[in-house]
Amino acid sequence: MEANAIVLDDTAGDVIVVVVEGEHDIYTAPTLRERLDEALGRGGGIVVDLTAATFVDSSVLGALLDARRRALESGQGFVVCVGDTVEPGVQRILDITGLVPVLPVLRGRDEAIEAARSNGGDG
Amino acid sequence: MSDGVPAPEVVLNMPARAEGVGVVRQALAGMADALAFDAAVLSDMKMAVTEACTNVVVHAYDEQAGQLEVQMLAGEEDLTIVVRDHGSGIQPKPARTEPPALGLGLPLIAALSDAFELRGTAGRGTEVRMSFTYVRDVDPADANPVPGQVGDDGRWEPGEPPA
Repeated sequence: MEANAIVLDDTAGDVIVVVVEGEHDIYTAPTLRERLDEALGRGGGIVVDLTAATFVDSSVLGALLDARRRALESGQGFVVCVGDTVEPGVQRILDITGLVPVLPVLRGRDEAIEAARSNGGDG
Repeated sequence: MSDGVPAPEVVLNMPARAEGVGVVRQALAGMADALAFDAAVLSDMKMAVTEACTNVVVHAYDEQAGQLEVQMLAGEEDLTIVVRDHGSGIQPKPARTEPPALGLGLPLIAALSDAFELRGTAGRGTEVRMSFTYVRDVDPADANPVPGQVGDDGRWEPGEPPA
């Protein structure tokens, strides 16, 4: 029944992956913020994996930007990944808001985990 | 580009709550199935309408409950979506202080729709009217790019709103 799940995957060890699936908007943004808070609380790098997301709106971007700001303030890496075949409902809003280089947005989860390990400042 | 004003094919009227926005997207997808939409236009339409509905849910009504109304009007060449509330009207833009909102709603609607119009009267609600052509020649985001950027402090800084 969890068509729009947001779960934490900590199998990468020092980098926690927030896996976002399905459609997300103002209704699920509070849940996303909770999961991001939890991920930030672990103290390591953070990857937000939107590979299985089919739609995200500006409420989601707001949550991602807030989490990124807090991660950078505390020296934690922060990277978003979207997979190789990105849904237009995800790619389009990232493109037209110019957030791809800012967040930043990468393709694969593995490269995102590596990037989150190294862009956190104190590693 | 139809003559006169066609009657809406679909009218949705529901409480202005966050969980209703996804229902509107589902209805749009169903409507688009019958209209041979380009997939990219459908995706843009879902995004723009989501932002318009979100504005109603977040801004239209203070504490009291209110309605979110969505009309879909299929023309010869485009689908027009009207998102309406019966709240306090267009706000006189106080400081954008609500933390979750980036002020991206209207800029996104401008960038993703082929035409849009905002009408509002103090005390009588607000109406956003957006049109989406079934097959596009040009990308509206080229003419109406989303203004704003992330500042050095990591916060979104809205640019000038669309005229």
